[in-house]
Amino acid sequence: MAIHGPRRSTTRARDHYPIKNQTSKIHLTQTLLNVADNSGARELMCIRIIGAGNHRYAHIGDVIVAVIKEAVPNMPLERSEVIRAVIVRTCKELKRDNGMIIRYDDNAAVVIDQEGNPKGTRVFGAIARELRQLNFTKIVSLAPEVL
Amino acid sequence: MRALATAAAIPSCAQFHGYSQEPIQSLGLLWRRRRCSPGARVPPSSRPTRFQNVSGRDTDEMFDDLLKKYGKVVYRGGDRKRPSAEADDDAESLSFAVTLAKVANEVKAADIRVLFVKPLVYWTRFFIIVTAFSRPQIDAIGSKIRDIAEQQFNKVASGDTKPNSWTLLDFGDVVVHIFLPQQRAFYNLEEFYGNATPIELPFDNQSPFRS
Repeated sequence: MAIHGPRRSTTRARDHYPIKNQTSKIHLTQTLLNVADNSGARELMCIRIIGAGNHRYAHIGDVIVAVIKEAVPNMPLERSEVIRAVIVRTCKELKRDNGMIIRYDDNAAVVIDQEGNPKGTRVFGAIARELRQLNFTKIVSLAPEVL
Repeated sequence: MRALATAAAIPSCAQFHGYSQEPIQSLGLLWRRRRCSPGARVPPSSRPTRFQNVSGRDTDEMFDDLLKKYGKVVYRGGDRKRPSAEADDDAESLSFAVTLAKVANEVKAADIRVLFVKPLVYWTRFFIIVTAFSRPQIDAIGSKIRDIAEQQFNKVASGDTKPNSWTLLDFGDVVVHIFLPQQRAFYNLEEFYGNATPIELPFDNQSPFRS
């Protein structure tokens, strides 16, 4: 099931019920995501969430395995390559303890290698500071804006 | 009730784990807070008249009055620091950063830069960027810095635990980046933080290994 499209409204209607400890969720497998760095990939498809066991959704700061569906020509990364990526933005709201809610316009990820270093040299757009607590300070230090 | 945080509300002095330090700027939030504790910061003289007629008055008009009188930020968090306390914190972090840079110099790290990045990013104060020439050397620099930070300053780093081509040690106010020469040129952090103020270091920064 894709996250995009009119189904989102039904999800939001359901959210009005008070569910305790609800975290923001996004990214079933097969979800297409934008790439928020200059690594050379343009669009990713999530195929597995790492460390989630049987969990259905990935949140901001989760590492996923993804396939590059679209790539920029003449860059090191190519189409149909399998890579790891960290989710940095989700359309699904991210709730903080102080009541702040952050919701982005797109689902986006940053491509990383096996060691956790980003493959691109710059990150685009605003990212959440939760990434720093999750030990992705490298991505945070390459980002132009941290919310 | 939900409060939607906008991207514009970026805190100036939020600490690493402190989520509750933002000044509350949204009028909706302000209004709710006021009703919970009426006139928490309003001078006593203006209190009774304002809040007796709340239900009868047009609220927009009232907000305009309040804005004119007190400016945009009417409510302020009680945990704000005084400017002098802030300067003290800066000085403490500076001495910490310079000590770590000295330690890195002792372990023969090259091209050590200390950048004061607080005006550019709110999430930390100082960056230390150093080059090492092999993974064992990265390990040596990393573990020495960790030891000194723990012994002398009682701070524990988060970040990478194993030596990596880009090893990052996060001490909260000070973030240490240890690069291999290739990665340093690739990520080019100095250029990205080009507007940051470089800090003068008390030792000779030229490494004998540098080509």
